[in-house]
Amino acid sequence: MAEAAAPILAVEGLSVSYATPYARLFALDDVSLAIPRGEVLGLVGESGSGKSTVVLAALGLLGEAASVSARRAEFDGRDLLADAAALRGRRIGVVFQDPAAALNPALSIGLQVAEPMLTHQRLPRTEAYARAAALLGELGIPRVAEIMQAYPHQLSGGMKQRAMIAAALAGEPELLLLDEPTTALDVTIEAQILDLLEGLRASRGLSMLLVSHNLGIVGRLCDRLTILYAGRTVETGPTAAVLAAPRHPYTRGLLGALPRPEARARRLLPIPGALPDLRSPDPGCNFRPRCPLAVAACAEPQAMLPAGPARRVRCHRHALVADLPLLLDPVAPSRPSAAAPLVDVEGLTRGFGGPTLLRRRRTRVHAVDGMSLTIHPGEIVGLVGESGCGKSTLARLILRLLPADGGRLAFDGRPVPERPDLAFRRRAQIVLQNPDGSLNPRRTVEAILRRPLAHFGLAQGAAAGREVARLLELVRLPEAYRSRYPHQLSGGEKQRVGIARALATRPDFLVCDEAVSALDVSVQAAVLNLLQDLRDTLGVAYLFISHDIGVIAHIADTIVVMYRGHAMERGPADAVLHAPHHPYTEALLSAGAARQMRLVDTAPSGAGCRFAGACPRKLGAICDIEPPPWREASAGHRILCHIPVEQLARPGLRPGPAGARRPQTP
Amino acid sequence: MSAAALRHAASRRLPGTLLLGGAVLGAIAVLAVIGPWITPYNPTAFAVRFRFVPPGAAHWFGTDEFGRDVLSRVLAGAHYSLVMGFGATALSLAVGVPLGLLAAFHRGLVEEAIMRPIDLLISLPPVLLGLLILAVTPPNLFKTVLAVGIVYVPILARLSRAVALGLLEEDFVTAARARGEGAVSILAREILPNAWPPIIVESGLRVTFAILLGSSLSFLGLGPQPPGSEWGLMIAESREFLDRAPWIGLAPGFSLCVLLIAVNLFGEGLREFLDPRLRGRAGG
Ligand code: SF4
Ligand code: SF4
Repeated sequence: MAEAAAPILAVEGLSVSYATPYARLFALDDVSLAIPRGEVLGLVGESGSGKSTVVLAALGLLGEAASVSARRAEFDGRDLLADAAALRGRRIGVVFQDPAAALNPALSIGLQVAEPMLTHQRLPRTEAYARAAALLGELGIPRVAEIMQAYPHQLSGGMKQRAMIAAALAGEPELLLLDEPTTALDVTIEAQILDLLEGLRASRGLSMLLVSHNLGIVGRLCDRLTILYAGRTVETGPTAAVLAAPRHPYTRGLLGALPRPEARARRLLPIPGALPDLRSPDPGCNFRPRCPLAVAACAEPQAMLPAGPARRVRCHRHALVADLPLLLDPVAPSRPSAAAPLVDVEGLTRGFGGPTLLRRRRTRVHAVDGMSLTIHPGEIVGLVGESGCGKSTLARLILRLLPADGGRLAFDGRPVPERPDLAFRRRAQIVLQNPDGSLNPRRTVEAILRRPLAHFGLAQGAAAGREVARLLELVRLPEAYRSRYPHQLSGGEKQRVGIARALATRPDFLVCDEAVSALDVSVQAAVLNLLQDLRDTLGVAYLFISHDIGVIAHIADTIVVMYRGHAMERGPADAVLHAPHHPYTEALLSAGAARQMRLVDTAPSGAGCRFAGACPRKLGAICDIEPPPWREASAGHRILCHIPVEQLARPGLRPGPAGARRPQTP
Repeated sequence: MSAAALRHAASRRLPGTLLLGGAVLGAIAVLAVIGPWITPYNPTAFAVRFRFVPPGAAHWFGTDEFGRDVLSRVLAGAHYSLVMGFGATALSLAVGVPLGLLAAFHRGLVEEAIMRPIDLLISLPPVLLGLLILAVTPPNLFKTVLAVGIVYVPILARLSRAVALGLLEEDFVTAARARGEGAVSILAREILPNAWPPIIVESGLRVTFAILLGSSLSFLGLGPQPPGSEWGLMIAESREFLDRAPWIGLAPGFSLCVLLIAVNLFGEGLREFLDPRLRGRAGG
């Protein structure tokens, strides 16, 4: 670590609080960070940690209600708090999470990239546009002239984010602030954007602050990490060292809670408890209520203590952290089920749109196109795919919440009619993604849980009351929660109530549609563990749908990979997670393969492979013309590809800089 | 928990507009109910010797062309406006909300069958529509309420459909569908409890307009008939004497004003109280 150069951004003792009508909210409490010139600092924290507040404070965009103070806040020797307005957009560029919201839908991409050059640098119009085009080209955008004319809604998420980065770079900044720049994107696109950022940092000598909740992505790009917890920095140090041997219990906890394909068949270790109340900050260690190492002395204010080369930790017991378990004991490997399938789906198809009375020419777009899958009693089938692949539509088709255009659906050996009877409804239930929307905000937890009991005539009166108690216990919520309303619960608690509601009917089959995706890692781990335990104790079968292959790898016995409405690969989890892979699975699993994926811009034409437009291993015309065959890689493990299994077993990475790991900067 | 409880308690603080509007409205309602017993004079008795007496100690609001006490007539007429305002709104709620919810739930044919006639109704000016409904038969209070109520059905139907469409996308509705719940059950249990705040707020506004429209129709002779002392009707009858005895028209006009302002304040207060966005702005 070269420590010599003066940092481009140096913040010491930054505190931010907001006045709210009832109490003062302390968003940041004595946060310090420094970014040496040309380096990338990762700022990691879960929701409520204050990480976005840091970005807004550096940009001077916190607004009137915030009171900001800092012992020192300098950008290249200038006072950041006083000069923020002059620096942002010029010497400090910023990229926000949601490119769809950050781009103006009414202006062309070209204008939005050129705008900073027109207003800040006062370049002539033609020159600004020429430079904007060059920038977009540098960011890997194909057909630049066309894209310059396009409006944001015509671009895919990844392209929009590239355009946003181009707009941020237009002012020739020296520091780029990236606030969750890839969170709204699919994993394969995320890998490409990270790759792009890595390249920019090398080619332009940019310094960056990468703010993220995702330890996986900061590891790929950052030189140093700073971990935030509830408004305080808890740990800072070189990325590799922090990730390999975290010294703060919270960092350790985050790593233990992160589901990863490599750590399959181990039990995640969630962080118990919830974020402390920011209205009355604990003068002592604010992680105390959740910390497995807490002792009486932790109630004293904690300073950032040195802990190894260039590392600091806000914990007086940091030497003990290495002894904390990272993962719990392995769970028993899933037993292959010999029983007859519980759910048997064949060739299920559903399209949207299509010709109407007035518009006869419209074509119907197939969201789900001939999906087949079987789920055995007590089995967890993980369905992984990125946004728009049709996985949620499939979930609704299987529960007959949407009518199918074609295909067969059988449950427990009997075909399920278009309008299923109550018995099917009782036995097949759903857990939904959004914790805020999945519970009726006007009903108490008790009323929410009693409804299915009454609807199916399962229990009444005092018996229903006992049933509610049983359900709350199943999802490990205190009984006192009966009388609460959804807004009085945290995200993880809401999700538990959603699970309890689905379990109320004692179903045999649960569809979990992105059931943990909206939760913070530490909470997500607890819900995943809960779902796993429920399977083990109740024998419920799940169709577990997620865009996150880490989550799927963790929980599923069988994995189905879906792309554009169709299965690409299926098989026992262990087989799917190890080579041979389908090229798309490979891209999901490895950032290296993902960055070789092409930018998809057209839907496939004709009968060829659905992945042909983006496939990094595409063979040629055959992929466009002929439908690929199902190849049997091992027992029950099948891959839909023209490439023979033996060849698929060898990684498809092309040699060269794009496939290599992050180049080390001197 | 304490934070949540605090938020909860704070959000229940009643806005001043709601209290003021409610108080005035309550007072008017009490006067309307006990009016017949406290009128100083018989509101319909002629007293030829006392025609056009200006406001004074004996007749606070003066007397009209037949010598009737204007204050007594205003008191006796108060119930008309209240019945028209709240009755008509209740009617349009009772018809419009179910229609709107059903249209939202059953997209397609049912929706078209409900919404197209409603679009047609909404395109007609309210007074004209009221006239159409009333002109064919002899008018009375009940019919005015009916006419005004029908005029506002489309507005409430559209609003409830729009609110319900948004709510039907929510996950908790999907969960209800996954239980196989029927339309009525989903609408009543899942949608309505979440849809009513905007509907109630709109209803507050509707009461104002219903009172106005009812009075306008009375003014045109299509409401309660003389000698009933509906305020719009009183204003209409006083027109010829506006130069000689302005108080005959001013008294009911002023009363109407106070009533409308009270209803408006109440509605505004209700909106502040129920609208989570306004509450959120205050709560940070
Ligand atoms: S100071 Fe104490 S409570 Fe805080 S992280 Fe360290 S051991 Fe845990
Ligand atoms: S069939 Fe061709 S395009 Fe499709 S995944 Fe295989 S190699 Fe790629």
